[in-house]
Amino acid sequence: MSFDKRARRRRLVFVIAILIAAHFYIRPWVASRFAPDLLMLAMMLVAIRSRPGVAAVAGFLVGLTADVLSPARFGAGALSHTIVGYLAAYGRAVFFPDNLLVNAGLFAGGVWLRTLIVLLASGAGASELASTLLIWAPIQAVVTAVVGVVVVVFFRDWLAIRLDE
Amino acid sequence: MSRGQGRSLSRSDTALLVGCLVLSVVAMVLPTRWALVFSSGVRATALAPVVWLQNNAEQWRTSRLELQVISSARDSASLAAQSLAGLQAENAGLRGLLALKAKISYRTVPAEVLHQTTATEGRTLLLGTGSSDGVHVGNPVVSPDGLLGLIVSAESHSSVAMTWAHPDFAVSVTTADGSIMGIVAPTPGFEASESFLELRGVPYRDTVPDGTQVLTSGLTGVYPNGIPVGRVVGTRREEMGWERVYRLTPAANPGHVRHVLIYLIRENRLDP
Repeated sequence: MSFDKRARRRRLVFVIAILIAAHFYIRPWVASRFAPDLLMLAMMLVAIRSRPGVAAVAGFLVGLTADVLSPARFGAGALSHTIVGYLAAYGRAVFFPDNLLVNAGLFAGGVWLRTLIVLLASGAGASELASTLLIWAPIQAVVTAVVGVVVVVFFRDWLAIRLDE
Repeated sequence: MSRGQGRSLSRSDTALLVGCLVLSVVAMVLPTRWALVFSSGVRATALAPVVWLQNNAEQWRTSRLELQVISSARDSASLAAQSLAGLQAENAGLRGLLALKAKISYRTVPAEVLHQTTATEGRTLLLGTGSSDGVHVGNPVVSPDGLLGLIVSAESHSSVAMTWAHPDFAVSVTTADGSIMGIVAPTPGFEASESFLELRGVPYRDTVPDGTQVLTSGLTGVYPNGIPVGRVVGTRREEMGWERVYRLTPAANPGHVRHVLIYLIRENRLDP
């Protein structure tokens, strides 16, 4: 691994560490249903910079963390994050996430799809599915996407995607 | 990159995906008890720093943003408590006349609710207080508005409560005047208008008017009696002419609550 590549990885790890700390320390200050999912955002940032297999493992670990912290339906978080992580990395070949709007779309789509899979895997009823997927999940997806774009802009030099990655 | 190498990397990606999916499915079919034990172990070890971090954030938030609300709530509570001594004396006198035993009182501990971002979060709540403060599995959890649920897993500095929104929840209840008893559980229906609690087991001959408050009966020994569970808002269905099932609006909302009280009913017993 070249020195440049190693430095880029270290910077990415630094940004991810900031997001994880913010998820557990700053997010609780925001009303919970509108709060951005920074853990999911960190996972998406890793996923679109990794191979699909690595992204699936990253998704699985983040999902397992979500399951452990909220074990209403254990395993549903791991399943949903694995699928979203893999798809985000796989989708990089189709939508090269260099554009801010594409980034925002990936973040928002990822959060919404994650919520859909979690609800389906948890056996949620039609009322819960409808209200969550039509109202709460889109709000959370948009908020997460906005925060994601701010992060990408703020750390644009560190998070720039190279074609050799 | 050669063609063969590319294919093998692609195969490794697929293998990793399949491995993760299989592990996820295994996690989903794990018995609930094993899942809780695993979650509890990870929260107490690998995730202990993040649980601590979030608990600190919640405490900071409370002390900074909610000080005024807490102060006014404390003032209202102290005002209400001024008439308590007279009521207690009167109650003790009446109990003495009827030769009733003194009402059992339980110790409580406060806890911060550490909300998560997953869609099913309202079914279980992560709390910032654990067994080091006397919290045990099976202890009831209440908010200022009413019953929330009970503890299903407790580590030293955190615990998980199953709320009334969880499909496995059920509680024995009575109406406020004590005339009608039944069981309250979440509505299993799939219709958009029916995401409520329901009061089951009410004999057909009994009618519960809309607006009736429903409280815990204390019969099963899991919950103390007299905790508000919800209010009746209508009849949901009638079972073959022998039972009526009523719809209830829950008293407490797990999605909004930030602080709870845990009744230490099981502080001296071993976890089941």
